[in-house]
Amino acid sequence: MRLSDLIDTPVTGTDGTELGFVIDVRCHQDGPIRGAMQTLRVHSLIVSRTHVGSLLGYERRQQQGPWLIKILVRFLHRHAFIVDWDDVEREGNAFRLRASAQPRPLPE
Amino acid sequence: MTTARIIDLQLRLLDRQVIDTDGKFVCNVDDLELDVDEQGTPFVTAILVGPRALGPRFSGRLGRWVVAIATRLSEDRSTEPLRIDYRQVTEIGNVVKLARTKAELGVTPLEEWVDSRIIARIPGSGHAPE
Repeated sequence: MRLSDLIDTPVTGTDGTELGFVIDVRCHQDGPIRGAMQTLRVHSLIVSRTHVGSLLGYERRQQQGPWLIKILVRFLHRHAFIVDWDDVEREGNAFRLRASAQPRPLPE
Repeated sequence: MTTARIIDLQLRLLDRQVIDTDGKFVCNVDDLELDVDEQGTPFVTAILVGPRALGPRFSGRLGRWVVAIATRLSEDRSTEPLRIDYRQVTEIGNVVKLARTKAELGVTPLEEWVDSRIIARIPGSGHAPE
């Protein structure tokens, strides 16, 4: 599996409604040592309805920078959320949220 | 208890420059290879390099052409991209640092071929830039 296989994958709710698509894959560096560093393990998926500005990272953290861009990107990604890897299941070419899933909004 | 470092793969790793142990530029991170552990959790196993890794990221005909041309020019004629095992990675920051030299990695065969067969034959090519 490649990262590019996960990016852009549609994400649906438990009832099949489209919620967006994967714009990034969040890893925690908490796996067993592999070479010089701990393994990067997939922890969660970042889901949004648009790609615009997602590579700037403004929607994911407090960021110093032009406030206008920050406001614009955060507005575009106002529906974005994070969902744990364990809370999704693969269904065809999409990810479907499990009934127990607890998606979280992106941090303010 | 220390908190695990968090890395968003697309934002923090994809398209970053890869630097060898001598500080020389090797390549960019064109894609990442993931495997799944016993618990079903994917983990990063390798950095994928070159047009055969980059091509599938382009949708449609362009991506297929990039992979097809790169496959035709490759020695092994395989569509599988060149890879740098995660075990070779020593640091992930603004750049990705490796524990090997560029020559040891051998992930830029076309560049090395052009360097040895074409560039090396140009008079004056052996001089270091001033």
